[in-house]
Amino acid sequence: MAEKVIMPKQGLQMTEGTITRWFVKEGGNCVSGQPLFEMETDKLVITIDANVTGKLLKILALEGSTVPITETIAIIGQEGEDTSALLAQEKPSQANTPAMMPVSASAQAAGLTPMPVAAPAGPVYATPRAKLRAEEKNLNVEQIPGSGPDGLIIERDVLAFIPQKATPLAKAIAQQEGVNVSDAVGSGAHGKVTRADVNALIAARKDTLNTRHGTLVPYEGKRKMIGDKMQESLRTHAQLSHQIKVDMSRAVELRESFKAADRKVSYNDFILMATARALMDFPAMNAELTDKGILQKDYVHLGMAVDVPSGLIVPVIRDADLMRLGEISACAAELADKAKNGKLLPTEYTGSSFTVTNLGMFGLECFVPILNTPESGILGVGKIEKQAVVINDEIVIRPMMCLTLTYDHRVTDGAPAAQFLARVKQYLENPFLLL
Amino acid sequence: MSIKTYAVAIRDTIAQEMRHDDKVFIMGEDIEVLGGIFGCTRDLAKEFGTERVRNTPITEATFVGAGVGAATAGMRPIVELMYMDFTYVAMDQILNQAAKIRYMFGGKAKVPLVIRGQQGIGRGNAGQHSQSVESLFMHIPGIKVACPSTPAEAAGLLRTAIRDDNPVLFLEHKALYSTKGEVPDDPEFAIPFGKAAIKKEGKDVTIVANLLYVSKALEAADILEKEGISAEVIDPLTLVPLDIDTIVKSVQKTGRLITVHEAHREGGWGAEIAAQVMERAFRYLDSPPIRLGAKQCTLPFNLGLENAVVPQVDQIVQAAKQSLYR
Repeated sequence: MAEKVIMPKQGLQMTEGTITRWFVKEGGNCVSGQPLFEMETDKLVITIDANVTGKLLKILALEGSTVPITETIAIIGQEGEDTSALLAQEKPSQANTPAMMPVSASAQAAGLTPMPVAAPAGPVYATPRAKLRAEEKNLNVEQIPGSGPDGLIIERDVLAFIPQKATPLAKAIAQQEGVNVSDAVGSGAHGKVTRADVNALIAARKDTLNTRHGTLVPYEGKRKMIGDKMQESLRTHAQLSHQIKVDMSRAVELRESFKAADRKVSYNDFILMATARALMDFPAMNAELTDKGILQKDYVHLGMAVDVPSGLIVPVIRDADLMRLGEISACAAELADKAKNGKLLPTEYTGSSFTVTNLGMFGLECFVPILNTPESGILGVGKIEKQAVVINDEIVIRPMMCLTLTYDHRVTDGAPAAQFLARVKQYLENPFLLL
Repeated sequence: MSIKTYAVAIRDTIAQEMRHDDKVFIMGEDIEVLGGIFGCTRDLAKEFGTERVRNTPITEATFVGAGVGAATAGMRPIVELMYMDFTYVAMDQILNQAAKIRYMFGGKAKVPLVIRGQQGIGRGNAGQHSQSVESLFMHIPGIKVACPSTPAEAAGLLRTAIRDDNPVLFLEHKALYSTKGEVPDDPEFAIPFGKAAIKKEGKDVTIVANLLYVSKALEAADILEKEGISAEVIDPLTLVPLDIDTIVKSVQKTGRLITVHEAHREGGWGAEIAAQVMERAFRYLDSPPIRLGAKQCTLPFNLGLENAVVPQVDQIVQAAKQSLYR
């Protein structure tokens, strides 16, 4: 039974997406869980896997087309299967319709008044010469609005056509940066201008400018999303921080033991585990201030901040409180991997109840994070460093780590927050309690 | 180079060829003393005598037939028809005899005959004296068709026609006789058949015209130029043989074709060119070829009505714009 592949909704704000690449050609084999296509929204570039195994019978949305969410973009089924019934259900695709293409500036400048072009219900007519020119320019003639009689596409239309050959993101960046997207050399499908092309253009422009005036980075898309959220965090929460030092000697020993047994567990896994456990002990830290009151959650969805090239993202280990160390470890590794490859599903980066953020890898001893709103607590993890500490009146060398807890003083007070932090320390200094 | 009228260029070429070759002679109505009604044989009798510049009775079928016979017998006759409309009187001699003899005698007989004279509008000569006949003769194989539009072309093409071993219908235009232009003095100056002349280069639309309509097409091209449309004007010069390559090449460049002639539009030579272009350059066309020609009615005596029947410069301009969807 043939199945439709639809434009998936990736995030609340998404209304349409641009197919940037098909990994499987029409007629090729799709394997469930293997990459099927790559798409770009105004927020991210993401690879979408096939959810069924079969033949890619038909690609309805070609590379470069922008398609509204839930619209069918392809059909997967068995070899030789009749797709006509499925295709018949499809209204003429919104993608590629000339109506979406604005009349080119030069055509307007020439004083031409192109006929209104409706989404073509039937065949699109172009003169032989128009087709020839389109072929030469590597354009799909059907994408070009026709100005001839009955919308006939004529040579002039093709020559005047400035292809809408940029992804939405590329266009947005170009606009922000004040560069002309048509100046960029498109490296995408059909010469489509991608974000990278616009960035290259911007970089090239910078070479010719006096760079001592600074660099303008577009504040939009994901950057703006993060920024707005951080602003919201500082504005709404009454945040302050506690700090504590943790002796990681036993955690180091335990990790070595795991290693000897061929099991890979990271310090961060210990920290995640310790945090999940401590949150169950202190529900006030695992809470959210709502209109109706303070919602103390009876589950731990533990967010872990990950830095990816496009910016900060916080994948969520759902029900971390129910997991054993090995499960947390595996789950964290998988999420981090997905985040790095842009394959996180929306459910995998939303809905966390508490967040752990670790900058130890950058050599930071300690740092003060701000809340991942609407959560009430976030734990900032510094690096593990051998330090001289006094134990039993003797100076000894211990692997020490600094934890910084930022919490919402509206939801809880300093003493319980300190106790929570101390509990995390306790778990980490006695990691067998986690097993 | 000398500045000559179209008529004098023809007269001088005939004289040069008669000096060049004893076998060349000319016959026709009122050519001895009058020198033809348009002066194309003026004073030739004085130099060459009435043996070689012969008056004929008003018997076109007969003296065209005499020309076919003389040519077959080894002479190189030039037969002047007072009006090309009268080819119809001699049609059997032209199409059944002149056009076919070389083929039917297995190449052993040849017909180096030139039938020349004027045609077309401009003088209100009415239905039997204003026709453009070239399309008819393009249809029947075996006869070449030349249509000069300038004095130099008249000279160069006529020399080629006289020296050709096959029958040539040499069509002059009555309205062109008084037009002037530079003509090479070289008595060997000849323009080969089957090579179209690009009268004006352009890139947006190809206009193919002959005879009187070359100047009208150029006039239209000037108007179009002012409106930002660059027209290429081509004169095929000879319809048989036809230099379709030059036209196809032009249309490949411009993507649009207008054919314009004074001959009737239906079944006119413009239709043949349009068809060949579509066969050979369909992919390059941005609009359907447009044919302009005389309306499908008899040419009126009244000069105003005559103009209403044949294409006007404005119509050429409009056709070019239409081909560009403007």
